[in-house]
Amino acid sequence: MRLSLILTDSQECFTFLWPCVKMHYTQNGIVVVRRKKTVRSKYTFIEFLIFKFPLMFFVGLLYGMLGWTIVVSFTNWHGTAPNYDFAGFKWYRLMITLDRFHVDVANNLKWLSLGVIPTVILALFIAYLLELGSFRRLESYIRTLILYPVAMSFIVTGTIWSWMLDPDKGVFNTILRGVGLDFLQGRFTTNPSTATYWLILIFVWQYLGFSVIILQSSLRTAELREMTESALIDGASRLRILLQIIIPNIRSGLLILISLLLISTLKVFDIVYIVTFGGPGTATDVLAFYMLLATFQQHLVSLGAGIGVVIFLLAASIVIPYTIYAFKKWFD
Amino acid sequence: MKSRNRTLTILVVLTLIVLTIAYVLPVYVVLVTSLKTPAEISQRQYLLLSSNLQFKNYAQAFKLILPALLNSTIITFSVTALCTLVGGLGGYYLSRTRTRFSMVLFVMVGVAMYLPYQVILIPLVQLMAKTGLALTHLGLIGSNLILNIPLASVLMGTFFLGIPRELEEAAEVDGASKIHIFFRVISPVAFPAYVSVIIIIFTQVWNEFLLALTLATPRTQTIQLKLTEIKGTFVALYNLQMAAALITLIVPLVFFLALSKYFIKGILAGALKG
Amino acid sequence: MRKIVSVLIVLIVFTAVVFAGGKRGEATGMAAAEERKLEIFHWWVGPGEREAADEWFKALHAKYPEVEVIENPVAGGGGVSHRVVLQSRLSAGLPPDTFQALGGAELKAYVDGNYLLPLDDLWTELNYRKVIPGPLANTFIFNGHPYGIPLNMHIQNIMYYNKNLFDELGLTEPKNFDELITVAAAIKKAKPDMYPLGLGTKEKWEAAFVLDAIILGEGGPEYYVKLFKGEIDVTKDKIFRTALEKLAKLKAYTYPYHANLTWDQSVSLVVAGDAAMVTMGTWAIGAFLNNKWTPGEDFGALTFPQGKERYLLFHADSFILPKNAPHPGTTMDFLRVTASPELQIPCDVVQGGLVARIDIDPKVFPDPIRQEMQAYIRDNPTKLILDQHGSIAPASFSSEYWAAIAGFMGEDRPDIDKTLAQIGTLFTTYEVKKDAAWYVWP
Repeated sequence: MRLSLILTDSQECFTFLWPCVKMHYTQNGIVVVRRKKTVRSKYTFIEFLIFKFPLMFFVGLLYGMLGWTIVVSFTNWHGTAPNYDFAGFKWYRLMITLDRFHVDVANNLKWLSLGVIPTVILALFIAYLLELGSFRRLESYIRTLILYPVAMSFIVTGTIWSWMLDPDKGVFNTILRGVGLDFLQGRFTTNPSTATYWLILIFVWQYLGFSVIILQSSLRTAELREMTESALIDGASRLRILLQIIIPNIRSGLLILISLLLISTLKVFDIVYIVTFGGPGTATDVLAFYMLLATFQQHLVSLGAGIGVVIFLLAASIVIPYTIYAFKKWFD
Repeated sequence: MKSRNRTLTILVVLTLIVLTIAYVLPVYVVLVTSLKTPAEISQRQYLLLSSNLQFKNYAQAFKLILPALLNSTIITFSVTALCTLVGGLGGYYLSRTRTRFSMVLFVMVGVAMYLPYQVILIPLVQLMAKTGLALTHLGLIGSNLILNIPLASVLMGTFFLGIPRELEEAAEVDGASKIHIFFRVISPVAFPAYVSVIIIIFTQVWNEFLLALTLATPRTQTIQLKLTEIKGTFVALYNLQMAAALITLIVPLVFFLALSKYFIKGILAGALKG
Repeated sequence: MRKIVSVLIVLIVFTAVVFAGGKRGEATGMAAAEERKLEIFHWWVGPGEREAADEWFKALHAKYPEVEVIENPVAGGGGVSHRVVLQSRLSAGLPPDTFQALGGAELKAYVDGNYLLPLDDLWTELNYRKVIPGPLANTFIFNGHPYGIPLNMHIQNIMYYNKNLFDELGLTEPKNFDELITVAAAIKKAKPDMYPLGLGTKEKWEAAFVLDAIILGEGGPEYYVKLFKGEIDVTKDKIFRTALEKLAKLKAYTYPYHANLTWDQSVSLVVAGDAAMVTMGTWAIGAFLNNKWTPGEDFGALTFPQGKERYLLFHADSFILPKNAPHPGTTMDFLRVTASPELQIPCDVVQGGLVARIDIDPKVFPDPIRQEMQAYIRDNPTKLILDQHGSIAPASFSSEYWAAIAGFMGEDRPDIDKTLAQIGTLFTTYEVKKDAAWYVWP
């Protein structure tokens, strides 16, 4: 048996960290086929500077700072002065015993699921609706309508929403009372059990316009239009078209949108800060908010860093599998 | 066929009504509040139009927020432009290279994208302080850059992955340099992606609150901070804040509307494919 | 495309260069003559406070006209935002010339962090110990050295009430908890749509204010001090439990939707007629004035509770001297001005607090409420106890404590046992006994 090495041309063999190796059995023996390295010629120094370097520089900075945070979470920095004595898992052990931490994690998970899924579904619905007819003028109206929250500043929209949701004289309840639907009134964000859900609603409201725009760009391709038309001719219902033709073909747009929303919900801070400040009590607290308070109000910097690490781990545990899955799907 | 159209119309009309209420109501409240006096606002009649319209609130608010508005505009535009540039270049590199290094980098960048920046807030500030950039516009621009480049790179990178290599290979055969290929060949095709990235980054930076809070000084104060400041902590001047908010609305809205023209043009040319 | 990009790059570089000035002044160390600059860091930027801050600089320039003031105020009040920036800069080794700090545990945090210089000589020069009340001075002295110059006092436990309403219903101002309940019940009966006690707990500390007043009435001043020094086991203690029970009782008369209201919105409740009373600090006077209510006519105020004994919970703003301040000489001059009546009078009158110096005539205040309080303090300086803001207990405890009490008030059915257990854990987790040992009262 002979082992020969045959180099093949740029076969898009995407595996992660190990080279693509395939083994063939031929008449002459086992043949090992290895993917050739990229066909590209190497980058010249200038090209390196322009293409690679800025990215590497910034990502390097970012990870450097992340590393600093991880290190600090293992030190004993409490108080205003830096204290780099090694403290092991002290703060992590403390974290687990804190009620507030568990409330936070639960809330963050709620945000992750309820912030992303409804937004995507609603955005898809609206984007699709706009595609179905020729609503040109209507479209610019709707687009401006749902885009302005992003332009207006989350600080202000947060304040407005807290007024809308004020159980006493807020807009919602006042209107409900006005039309005689008193019993439908809610306590919204002043009720510890339901507060977070209303905050998430505000988030969906804020990001809907954004999401619709991103999806619209995916929906408006010539191919999709062709496919839709031929399906229509075949007599398929709109709904069926949506589910079986459109969704599978706007994967990239959906992917991007879901990624962006996941990021935004993990980072959520502004809404909680403005509308409830974590309240009532700590009912709407999220990790990012607690991290700020722990670091800067309680002066427990190591604890804050530890919370930051938890946020990072949460992000990583959801994101890395998702990214790998997304990339794999992308390359298939 | 007819019934299908009818259900469609009903759906559209319903959606329109719901959306209009959901999005116009808050603006109405902003408008109404911006024309009141603080004493009237205390009454918490949010829907009531004042009998004594305080248009001078707008003049006052405008004077107060103009410097901050300028700052925000400068910072946001700079960051958006630089981010898009570096993101495009970096994303191109990531999408076209298959070395182990670049793949790992791609994943690292992807994960970095999800990093809530609060995690690195303290070291970021320390970095800014040590490099002397803490109290300048450059500092704010730099910090926002650090936070947004992963996002821009991944977005552009995934887009470039979808562009077949024939174009570049043809250009290479003609002897074009990589730089030339990037700017003259690839980027025009990627135009709609650029627009998307620009919109996304612009939004993130314009609305950035916590970072600006940490690093800003009166000279470099961004509009988000100014809006909080206008309200004050001692006496709550929501009327000024609301008037300021409406004025602030203009800049990003104009920017978006201008861009959406390009957006649509690009889309019809066969943009982000599935 | 390339053209656009190059234009953009040029624009960016241009603007960056134009604005990239203002690098932190060259830290040259011992320059031959120190520049007369003052980089001051404070949070009085909002309306009502901005004017007070302007008064500082007016007084400073009256005495030292050549000083150039560089302000770096941070919006967001004395809350988290200020500390974010300050802590970051301090730990990066970039202190401003001076910054605003509250006396008490907050100041202690900076002293412990080794960021401040003691001001013994300055206090001796100004004879400041004699000029301000003893308890006020004590909240600025750590390890035997004073570390700041207080410029005002704010009193926390004040009950404001709608005077017109009280006159109409023939009610007298409540002096203790039982009277408060009686008055509340009367108001509820006469005006069923009104909530007797207004409250806003968004910033969390407001609920603790109410509880403080009850604790002070239940256990007296010594108990209050012991409690926040961590020397009481709240899970076993009768007084704290009773205080919580009383708070739960009061909840029935309190505005229920307080979770989203800020403190100034709770004042607005009274102004709008949604509530009749509110427990707030001296700074609320400004909020009332802004709503066009006149003290003594539209609203009255009294420190609460009052009995044979009357104690005031206070905290004070101050300025300090950081180590490695870029212009220490100028800062010291500013501190001298801060200690003088020329700064304190205009500043405090505008801002709504009391003056730190008790040798100033209370008549400088336009409203009778503050005149009376200032006079009382002058005559009874030992009746001051450090409050929630300045804080006896360390900040790590305080912010969680506030959240716990705010949560207690937010629950439909407040669980006293659970809250007691929670607070008990807080005391041990954050080592209050150790960190609060510095406080001595009176």
